[in-house]
Amino acid sequence: MGRYTIRRLLQLIPVLLGTTFLINYMVWQLPGDPFAGRCGQRPCPDAYVNAMRAQFGLDQPVLVQYWNFLKNMLTGNLGVDFNQVPVATSLADAWPITIRLAILAVAIEAVIGIGAGVLSGLKRGGVIDNAVTLSTLVLLSLPVFVTGFLLQWLLGVQLQIVNPTVSDEATVSELLVPAFVLASLNMAFTARLTRTSIVENLRADYVRTAIAKGLTNRRVVGVHLLRNSLIPVLTFLGTEVGGLMAGAIITEGIFNIHGIGGLLYRAIINQDFTIVVPVAALLVLVYLITNLLVDLLYGVLDPRIRYE
Amino acid sequence: MVEVLSEPVGGGSYEGSLLEVDDLHVEFRTRAGVAKAVNGVTYSVGAGETLAVLGESGSGKSVTAQTIMGILDMPPGKITGGEIRFRGVDLLKLPEDQRRKIRGEGISMVFQDALSALNPVFPVGWQIAEMFRVHRGASRSDAKKKAIELMDRVRIPAAKDRVNDFPHQFSGGMRQRIMIAMAIALDPEILIADEPTTALDVTVQAQIMGLLADLQRERNMGLILITHDLGVVADVADKIAVMYGGRIVENAPVHDLYRSPAHPYSKGLLESIPRVDMKGQELYAIKGLPPNLLEMPSGCAFHPRCPYRRDNCVTDVPPLYPISGTRGSACHYWREVLDDGSR
Repeated sequence: MGRYTIRRLLQLIPVLLGTTFLINYMVWQLPGDPFAGRCGQRPCPDAYVNAMRAQFGLDQPVLVQYWNFLKNMLTGNLGVDFNQVPVATSLADAWPITIRLAILAVAIEAVIGIGAGVLSGLKRGGVIDNAVTLSTLVLLSLPVFVTGFLLQWLLGVQLQIVNPTVSDEATVSELLVPAFVLASLNMAFTARLTRTSIVENLRADYVRTAIAKGLTNRRVVGVHLLRNSLIPVLTFLGTEVGGLMAGAIITEGIFNIHGIGGLLYRAIINQDFTIVVPVAALLVLVYLITNLLVDLLYGVLDPRIRYE
Repeated sequence: MVEVLSEPVGGGSYEGSLLEVDDLHVEFRTRAGVAKAVNGVTYSVGAGETLAVLGESGSGKSVTAQTIMGILDMPPGKITGGEIRFRGVDLLKLPEDQRRKIRGEGISMVFQDALSALNPVFPVGWQIAEMFRVHRGASRSDAKKKAIELMDRVRIPAAKDRVNDFPHQFSGGMRQRIMIAMAIALDPEILIADEPTTALDVTVQAQIMGLLADLQRERNMGLILITHDLGVVADVADKIAVMYGGRIVENAPVHDLYRSPAHPYSKGLLESIPRVDMKGQELYAIKGLPPNLLEMPSGCAFHPRCPYRRDNCVTDVPPLYPISGTRGSACHYWREVLDDGSR
């Protein structure tokens, strides 16, 4: 497994190089001038635009720009954004909030999704099963921004149970509703995946063996059935952690959360690419690393998997 | 009834055999109709006795065993009549928690395909040790020690080194030995082996049958050996029950049946075993197909395939005619069949 891990880590390098190059190239190719519109009602003076271009290296060829980006990344020098605020400061403020939001969302996916899936899978065709099937169908068919605005309006504006937007502190209780919105699609999918997996494994021979061994129903289900059924579910949850961070862009935008997603959201609107590029690169890195961790976890969960 | 079992299984007095299946009826209710899988099966096994239950797929032999174990899928399965008495107590009337205590302790089972019957994600030693931990409350280390002893007993080489291996790391024969170790862990009085050698090579089959026979003698267990292969039972079994279409069609001590079958179906089975002295001749096969359980033939279920068929076979269901003390045949013309002998 050690050699496998090293090989996978080495594979990260070309993938990271390729994706960061693409991100760099594409954002600088977008139409519009990020500096021309920064002076209120009047067009910016050429001197300002040229000075900014020179500061951020836009007057240089793409490859040189990319080389400078790599150099800065490797030395940990993220520079300043267009407002001359250090990018590292913005990131340091935003990361903890997004991580808190993502952990909450994963917890909601796991607890509610797996719980509902197990209950509906064990009693197929029962009341719970039908309720789960229906509610997951609703969640799966609604885009996240609809669920988000709906809950914000219902819980925040109409019922006034929670604040419609999240304060700068972004406490756990404030983040509950946004995390639920962020988790909703994956939660519904987790419930369905768990249900299918439980139903499939319920018929497996080893479950019959476990019953024939004289084990209690609780042990048959809780140990033998669950341990097998959760392998694909945990893999799915792990793979989706990266996607969750990216999905946070919409959720953080809706609830005005100052996390990575919100930072990226505002940076894209302001065309501030000094923030877009490192954040996007960071998300790529998170995605790649969670994928690697999931692949390793898979081998721990299922002893039949071998790494070669 | 319940009180007899509230002391640990093993005490109490009872008359008759250790395990008696009495006029058992099991149906499967499916969308296509009601499949009558078991239609009045009666058999018994005593301590130290081996009963071979013989029959082709769909004859009801496995369903009967699953009903004894209490692992029948219900629904679609439904027990519509009969009793299963273990030490004189009808298991079908016991509440589930008492029934559960008998599984593994009193009656246990070895399945056909050990690869799918063992849990793929737990080490084999853990799976054997689970019997001691759950039923006897043994500690982790004690249970593991006992698991290693059992793996030694079923002759798994280097048991101590392999106790933490997973099922997929063993060969088919070794996996079946682990199944057997798990089944005999708590010294059950009855062991049901459902086609234990079907998935194995012929040489390994002989070893597994030998192991089962040894263990049975050593522990004085009652053994129910379910198989469709007449070849494997001759050396091990004391008596044979041949099943067809959910009924027992012939009941006999093993040597009597081999010498002179008393039912056309048993005779057909015997004749379809390849023999060295018949080399070059065409192998006999019973004509036709097993009965459709949704639409059983009228009268004797075997009549569409039977060379002895007369008119009354189509209308009259043959009872199990007693032939001698321990023999019976559900054929109206059993005398004729018996007189013909086998080949």
